[in-house]
Amino acid sequence: MAIVIDKSQRWRIFAAHAFLIVLCAIVIFPLLMVVSISLRPGNFAAGSLIPKSISLDHWRFALGLPVTGPDGRVTQPDLPVLLWLWNSVKVATLSATVAVLLSTTAAYAFARLKFARKKAALTGLMLMQMFPTVLALVAIHSIFSRIGHAFPAIGVNSHWSLVLAYSGGIALHIWIIKGFYESIPPEIEEAATVDGATPWQAFWRVLLPMALPILMVVFLLAFIGAVNEYPVASILLHSQDRLTMAVGAKQFLYAQHYLWGDFAAAAILSGLPVSVVFILAQRWMISGLTSGANKG
Amino acid sequence: MADLQFKALRKSFGDAEILHGIDLDIRDGEFIVFVGPSGCGKSTLLRCIAGLEEITSGEISIGGQRVNEIPPSKRGIAMVFQSYALYPHMTVAENMAFGLKLAGHSKTEIQAAVLRAAQILQIEPLLDRRPKALSGGQRQRVAIGRAIVRKPGVFLFDEPLSNLDAGLRVQMRVELARLHADLGTTMVYVTHDQVEAMTLADRIVVINQGRIEQVGAPLDLYRRPANRFVAGFIGSPKMNFLTCSLVSARDTDATVRLGDGTLVTAQVDARGLAEGTPLTLGIRPERLLPEATGGEDTARATVLVAEHLGDTVFLHIQGLEGQGQITVKAPPETPFRTDSEVHLRFPAKHCHLFGPDDRALTRLI
Repeated sequence: MAIVIDKSQRWRIFAAHAFLIVLCAIVIFPLLMVVSISLRPGNFAAGSLIPKSISLDHWRFALGLPVTGPDGRVTQPDLPVLLWLWNSVKVATLSATVAVLLSTTAAYAFARLKFARKKAALTGLMLMQMFPTVLALVAIHSIFSRIGHAFPAIGVNSHWSLVLAYSGGIALHIWIIKGFYESIPPEIEEAATVDGATPWQAFWRVLLPMALPILMVVFLLAFIGAVNEYPVASILLHSQDRLTMAVGAKQFLYAQHYLWGDFAAAAILSGLPVSVVFILAQRWMISGLTSGANKG
Repeated sequence: MADLQFKALRKSFGDAEILHGIDLDIRDGEFIVFVGPSGCGKSTLLRCIAGLEEITSGEISIGGQRVNEIPPSKRGIAMVFQSYALYPHMTVAENMAFGLKLAGHSKTEIQAAVLRAAQILQIEPLLDRRPKALSGGQRQRVAIGRAIVRKPGVFLFDEPLSNLDAGLRVQMRVELARLHADLGTTMVYVTHDQVEAMTLADRIVVINQGRIEQVGAPLDLYRRPANRFVAGFIGSPKMNFLTCSLVSARDTDATVRLGDGTLVTAQVDARGLAEGTPLTLGIRPERLLPEATGGEDTARATVLVAEHLGDTVFLHIQGLEGQGQITVKAPPETPFRTDSEVHLRFPAKHCHLFGPDDRALTRLI
């Protein structure tokens, strides 16, 4: 850091910091607000950021523990929040795994193999993914209800139907991974081929280990996408014990009575799996895995 | 151990034909160098041997077996890439063991083979490192090590030294020659550097625009180039070419006239060509004699630039009528400097003549 700096630079740095601090505050405010609401007695969305008194009732409710009302009556929570959370984690893990499996192989084909209409296929994938899912809801529902007649395990109101539906949305992942593959010199796989590897071994033992960071990114994106997804989940899942968190949380909001406090506690809970997966995935998102292959 | 044969090998990418019918026999244990300008198809030919490119027509045999339809992994070859192409996620030892592991060798066998190769290449202390912790020269050694552990029938080298600095390149060149002497395996080496070709090869294959121009031992190519392309490509600085016309042809030599009227005699068989036929006179820079005073059969010219390299002086000469620039390689004590006047003498036994079709006329020495 030996670059000579102009004096006005100090003011610019100060201004930049001030701007960033304000920006951070704006970003963090909603999160703090949700935490505050979940700790506040009663179900009010408005109010000050720092609660006047703290109540853990909403958290007890979210965690499925009995709540004692102000009149001394003990009520059992009627909504299975933890089960929804588990459903979300299950569906998200499965669909992210399927997405990674499908998109790594598809991206390999697009990046390395020669076949007719490659460009058209790639563009087509992208175009189709650009239409909002909502447009296809009717179709998705009728497809899965039809499948359900033959195979109830993957019909409407099953988690597998959701996993299957999410696995269709991998066009973007294919593009991301394809871009990464193309940054890896093909000679490395050619070297493996000459070393005696079959195309599958060259892919599995040489290319994939180098692509690990991007696979983690794609897994994470797919996981977050599945946890947050609402439209498809809301039409494919019906019974209360099958709902995912995103769909189930809607039930806190009765037409006449919005349970903001319980909703806030559940919302924070639903952020947990994403955070855990992110922390786990981060260990593998190391840069520079491909350095050293070439002359450098 | 294996020999190699090409029969009428052609390779096209789409409509563009890159190799136009290659016929060549490579003997078992031979060190063959493919040399040619960039884009001539030499690397493509090597990739065809490896099986990394399908050939369009013709036949390739390795060790007497037709391999056209055999995948790279089953051809009994090993290849060293220009970019090294090491596996970055594996240690040096794992890089070298990869091929053997795929072939299902036992752990002790693999360990022994890797250790032996590491000893040959003096990379034992590096075995536990990853490629990114190695220097360019070390990576190159690992790439070669990865090739030799598999004991292939044929080694393929694709410009392996072009990414190294000058000093290291000379050192690795010597080691490659040493390696070939020790292993005695057939080696096919691609380069655009004619010095590597001259020093390493048992035989050189000069390729230009997808065709073989000449095949032969390095000194044969140097002394008796088959045509103007080979004459210009082999040797550094390159051979001087001067346009001339035939004056007379005898049993022992031929006389030609340069554009400025100078008569030059060459020990070349030009009989059968008509008097006045336009020819090209070729002479190597180290064979041209610069003289201070003009005599009979010398051409007068001016030194454009004199480059002193310490052990030699390159005189770049302009001024022969109707000719391009000429280079003379002179000893360091030469009196000529930039802008000196110089008289050039063409010794008859060092002159080459090329016909109107650029083919060399037979030399009579």
